[in-house]
Amino acid sequence: MEKSCSLLVHFDSSTPALANEIKEALEGNDVPAKIEAMKSAIMLLLNGETIPQLFITIIRYVLPTDDHTIRKLLLLYLEIIDKTDSKGKVLPEMILICQKLRDNLQHPNEYIRGVTLRFLCRMNETEIIEPLIPSVLSNLEHRHPFVRRNAILAIMAIYKLPQGEQLLVDAPEMIEKALLSEQDPSAKRNAFLMLFNCAQDRAVNYLFTHVDSVPEWGELLQMVVLELIRKVCRTNPGEKGKYIKIIISLLNAPSEAVIYECAGTLVSLSSAPTAIRAAANTYCQLLLSQSDNNVKLIVLDRLNELKSSHRDVMIDMIMDVLRALSSPNLDIRRKTLDIVLELITPRNIDEVVLTLKKEVVKTQSTELEKNGEYRQMLVQAIHTCAIKFPEVASTVVHLLMDFLGDSNVSSAMDVVVFVREIIATNPKLRVSIIMRLLDTFYQIRATRVCACALWIIGEYCLSLSEVESGIATIKQCLGDLPFYTATEEQNAVDAPKQPPQANSITVSSRRPAILADGTYATQSAASEIAVAPPSLVAGSLSSTGNLRSLLLIGDFFLGTVIACTLTKLVLRYGEVQPSKVEVNKASSQALLTMVSMLQLGHSSVLPHPIDNDSYDRVVLCIRLLCNTGDEIRKIWLQSCRQSFVKMLADKQLRETEENKAKAQTSHAQPDDLIDFYHLKNRKGMSQLELEDQVQDDLKRATGDFTKDGDDENKLNRILQLTGFSDPVYAEAYVTVHHYDIVLDVTIINRTKETLQNLCLELATMGDLKLVERPQNYTLAPESSKQIKANIKVSSTETGVIFGNIVYETSNVLERTVIVLNDIHIDIMDYITPASCADWTFRTMWAEFEWENKVAVNTVIQDEKEFLNHIVKSTNMKCLTPPSVLDGECGFLSANLYAKSVFGEDALVNLSIEKQADGKLSGYIRIRSKTQGIALSLGDKITLKQKGGS
Amino acid sequence: MVVLAASIISKSGKALVSRQFVDMSRIRIEGLLAAFPKLVGIGKQHTYVETENVRYVYQPIEALYLLLVTNKQSNILEDLETLRLLSKLVPEYCSNLDEEGICKTAFELIFAFDEVISLGHKENVTVAQVKQYCEMESHEEKLHKLVLQSKINETKDVMKRKASEIDKSKIEKNRGEKGGFMSLTSSGRIESSFSEMSISSGGGGFGSSSGFGLSTEVESFSSKNKGRPSASATAPPKGLGMKLGKTQRTNQFLESLKAEGEVIVEDVPPTTTQSKSAVPPPTDPVTLTVEEKINVTLKRDGGVSNFDVQGTLSLQILNQEDGLIQVQIESRADSGILFKTHPNINKELFSNENILGLKDPNRPFPTGQSGDAAGVGLLKWRIQNLDESLVPLTINCWPSVSGNETYVSIEYEASSMFDLRNVVISVPLPALRDAPNVRQIDGEWRYDPRASTLEWSILLIDSSNRSGSMEFVVPPADSSVFFPISVRFTAAKTFSDLKVLNVLPLRGGSPPKFSQRTQLITENYRVE
Repeated sequence: MEKSCSLLVHFDSSTPALANEIKEALEGNDVPAKIEAMKSAIMLLLNGETIPQLFITIIRYVLPTDDHTIRKLLLLYLEIIDKTDSKGKVLPEMILICQKLRDNLQHPNEYIRGVTLRFLCRMNETEIIEPLIPSVLSNLEHRHPFVRRNAILAIMAIYKLPQGEQLLVDAPEMIEKALLSEQDPSAKRNAFLMLFNCAQDRAVNYLFTHVDSVPEWGELLQMVVLELIRKVCRTNPGEKGKYIKIIISLLNAPSEAVIYECAGTLVSLSSAPTAIRAAANTYCQLLLSQSDNNVKLIVLDRLNELKSSHRDVMIDMIMDVLRALSSPNLDIRRKTLDIVLELITPRNIDEVVLTLKKEVVKTQSTELEKNGEYRQMLVQAIHTCAIKFPEVASTVVHLLMDFLGDSNVSSAMDVVVFVREIIATNPKLRVSIIMRLLDTFYQIRATRVCACALWIIGEYCLSLSEVESGIATIKQCLGDLPFYTATEEQNAVDAPKQPPQANSITVSSRRPAILADGTYATQSAASEIAVAPPSLVAGSLSSTGNLRSLLLIGDFFLGTVIACTLTKLVLRYGEVQPSKVEVNKASSQALLTMVSMLQLGHSSVLPHPIDNDSYDRVVLCIRLLCNTGDEIRKIWLQSCRQSFVKMLADKQLRETEENKAKAQTSHAQPDDLIDFYHLKNRKGMSQLELEDQVQDDLKRATGDFTKDGDDENKLNRILQLTGFSDPVYAEAYVTVHHYDIVLDVTIINRTKETLQNLCLELATMGDLKLVERPQNYTLAPESSKQIKANIKVSSTETGVIFGNIVYETSNVLERTVIVLNDIHIDIMDYITPASCADWTFRTMWAEFEWENKVAVNTVIQDEKEFLNHIVKSTNMKCLTPPSVLDGECGFLSANLYAKSVFGEDALVNLSIEKQADGKLSGYIRIRSKTQGIALSLGDKITLKQKGGS
Repeated sequence: MVVLAASIISKSGKALVSRQFVDMSRIRIEGLLAAFPKLVGIGKQHTYVETENVRYVYQPIEALYLLLVTNKQSNILEDLETLRLLSKLVPEYCSNLDEEGICKTAFELIFAFDEVISLGHKENVTVAQVKQYCEMESHEEKLHKLVLQSKINETKDVMKRKASEIDKSKIEKNRGEKGGFMSLTSSGRIESSFSEMSISSGGGGFGSSSGFGLSTEVESFSSKNKGRPSASATAPPKGLGMKLGKTQRTNQFLESLKAEGEVIVEDVPPTTTQSKSAVPPPTDPVTLTVEEKINVTLKRDGGVSNFDVQGTLSLQILNQEDGLIQVQIESRADSGILFKTHPNINKELFSNENILGLKDPNRPFPTGQSGDAAGVGLLKWRIQNLDESLVPLTINCWPSVSGNETYVSIEYEASSMFDLRNVVISVPLPALRDAPNVRQIDGEWRYDPRASTLEWSILLIDSSNRSGSMEFVVPPADSSVFFPISVRFTAAKTFSDLKVLNVLPLRGGSPPKFSQRTQLITENYRVE
């Protein structure tokens, strides 16, 4: 067990206090100087500078001081100093300390007594404590509660020591007596805590004799009572009936902390629906009554846990949970919605959707900062509801369509995606949705939303009137043709000094964009800049249609979408309109629109001309309209829809598969061991097994918890540090924990001489820090020694540990140095595969500053094999779904993602192409917030990408 | 429910101060603290972060974070309260909230943290209390020092007096036995000087650290060879002349002891004026005492959270011959009163005829001569679920902060049922340097600096003063400091109105004379 550390104080190493100065000040009589000196002595000690002569000085000069601050500092000093020698025996000087402590315990100042008692709580050395026991006990009856409460704690700490029960045989009795007469709430709590920890029967006994007054007890005591109940019921589940009543009575306690604890206890004790309901109710009440966001979030976490274990009970609580939406905090709202969405059933869906709709309307009426995001959340929630229960779609879709013109692009995008899905799955709603969409189309401002809405119009306008109004709507939004007139052009030419800022906007936005599959694409224009260059807008009609203004800022991708939609509509028009004349008219008008677009693309008005892709596509549409055929009709009018339906089905399939996988993992394996609790031999079980949950929690938190590692793995990790022929052989076993690396170094003296002052000196590079200074050892001939070294890690980075072994032999006076092999710390130990949504990946990709670009250089010939190789060797997760990677086309682009244990994100994009000679070429780009990850991951990939070997 | 550590770290993750409350290794706590700044999100509206194993609850203070590391099952409500308290404490100890300032006051902060959290559990303390605990100003210590000083002075006085006495006796002796002087010297002198020494050391031990000054004086005496030994408690008396000296000396010691003793007695227990008026020893052959104890807990914002009355009827008989009696009582017909008789009492007789008699008619009631106990309990009763309107005295306390001061006005209102005597209302105060400034009062007040309470006493509340008020001013303090207010009083009427009608002798003859005492006293009467 490592030495525990009870305090940390930042130590500025640049101004080291000199031992001499400290000593002088300590010996002097000036109290403030003495205090300062004590402080520096403690700080030095904390930083590993054990100055042994200082201890004697302190005993001689500081011990007799009567100043209170110095006394307290002295106690701190004693707390951290090593009280034993290397063999574990208590230092002889401690006798003097003991005397002082006894004086303190009998000091007339109650606070001196109190702090000394508190200090004793942290002592482990029985030899020091033993003579103090009578004084400690006498403090139990001190007049001042401050002394009493600390005395009780001290007794508890002593009793818990390994031989504590012999030291204080009758401690539980004494404390029980004290508890009966105690009035101070804190002392009472401590006394009960002591009984709880040391003599559980007595605590239970006390609880039952005072069961009526439990609701009147202080908050602190009630908390411990609940803790006791939990513990007792864990070991003795049969007795829980006795306690439930107490918990119920405490549910009405005035203190919220107690209520919260009660609910938690109730859940852990019983799985009866009534108990769970009571707990859930309590949580919901807390959710409403507490204004603190932290509390709300954590209560929501608890509700979430309840949801997964007792879904049926929680379903009834859904409306109470929903009320948490009234909080303005987005995190709370998100969590609430997450919980609610998993609780919806056919019975409550209507109510839920109604509430959600109300919330949506509320966001419309009040303009708050975060409304957009909130609306987006609500839209997504409604979307999920509608997928689960398609019958509600009809009630919400129209309301949501009001938000197509939302200034928040992502929320509008969500709406339009929702509409697209609903129209595909709910044929009954098609007509009303189309009508509504055509009505509100002019409000849509964002390109992406426009594109999607146009696709819907193109696909789902079926009847004659729909097609007609579809074409009309698009035309209206495009405004009068042509897009620009010669005079405008003249104007533009006349004003060659276009507003430079408008220019710079568009130019700067010409950066590579990432397509959904992760590849780079050069976008021809800033797609989402709502502000069009002023010179153009000014020249156009006053009531500019939305499509027109978007086109005029050079968004030709939208232009191609318009062209395709028009083509589709005209093709369909030909099927539903019996009059050939009308069809030809519409066709020619569509052609005119497309041609105007092309013209605009080549005009000098725009800062940059139409890109080739868009140009080709528009031209394709023109050709189609001029020369239609059945084959083409089929592709345009049916295959499109089919592939969309397929995509939806694929998505659903994936989701169900994921759910299935999730459900499967929660079940036990067929050959799992089943524990029958009641049959298990209680004696054989360790305490830890009995109270696993809570104890584990604490153990893990203090870092005590170590999982049994794989022995085989352990052997693989042994590193040889020196050669076999060196006088000292050393090998290290490296364990990587979250925040630290432990080196277990075995050193063997291979000579026939005694090695003196042998010292393992380590130095680190990168974000590593050696925690403790190495000690010196003496190694007998042919003997070995185990040395442990702790190294602190604070970020994900490849670190290197260098070292020497230095020693002296008896006959040679000079020191011999053996240089050790370097130890490389692998980044792979720190990153774990993780997943994130597409758009978060993209925002992170755009935000992160560090990019490392690695050219692909490998012997692997197959794209997919290479991807798998990279995934395997970097321990990352491939975010690109496998369905996208299907098929052979000679290109591959995929996104990989991982998270480090320190919470840093690592993004990788892999873009490769198969060359004609069968070799793969391309780049792997790594982006991260910190340099460390980008560099070390890059190194790793460069090293591993070769493959084959 | 455990706080693992309370720390202050800079935004860059430098741990400035950290106090751990459970055993954990240094590398662990440093790791946890170093990981924290990376976990804190920007623009979040909540101030906790959870990781796989721990939860951080934090609060930004300028360029720093005040941070509690807890386990994940910890009670967030309690932790937040702890954090709030700590955040109030930090500026108290550290004037400029930056790295340097924190480092400078690191140890003071650690001391304060220790007062708020003990072994990971939250303590119920206020900022004022923590400050008080950390200042460590102890009355007892001062007192102890005073006592020590007075002992030193006392002993010095004794020595001086003794010296002069010895001088005097020496002169007398010189006058009286001029001749015998020489003969006395030789051996006796040395012994005498020894016995002097032993006395002085005894005295020194008594006054503990007064040793040095005393012994020099003694030495000077003995070296001058003037001293005639006078006995002490330790040295056996030698010679004739000492007898006088001995009695005197022991008297002096006794006196000094008494003087010292008094000092202690005067100051140690704050003598509270007992609400229970001392009962004079009974003179009548049979005394019956009806006593009711009232337990009331009033809520500070009105309302009653606990209100019950417990009554006893006890009998005290002076002489054995009067023991064979029965007692007839009468009480208000009220279903709310639950009577319980002593197991030896004939229950049937009581329930039918309201007569209290022993089951065995041949046994007399025990007699008790002494005036200490209230006698033999015959009957107990309890009245519960009393109506709020029956509360004999309601207290209304309004602390209000205005500027640099807190005004506290308290008013009482007594119900017309009772005339209350010896009413004492004690209001706890924050730790004050001076007595509070009482602006207005109906009655008298007294400030008890030891217990830090203000006692407002009213001798009698009757129809002339059913309500009254008081106002005082103290430095700013949290309003919760002034609670719980406790109240003591007595009254001559009881809730049950139980009366003894008659005492019936069992063996004929005239009924013995009896006296009856009735009183209502408060047992636990608080405003919380």
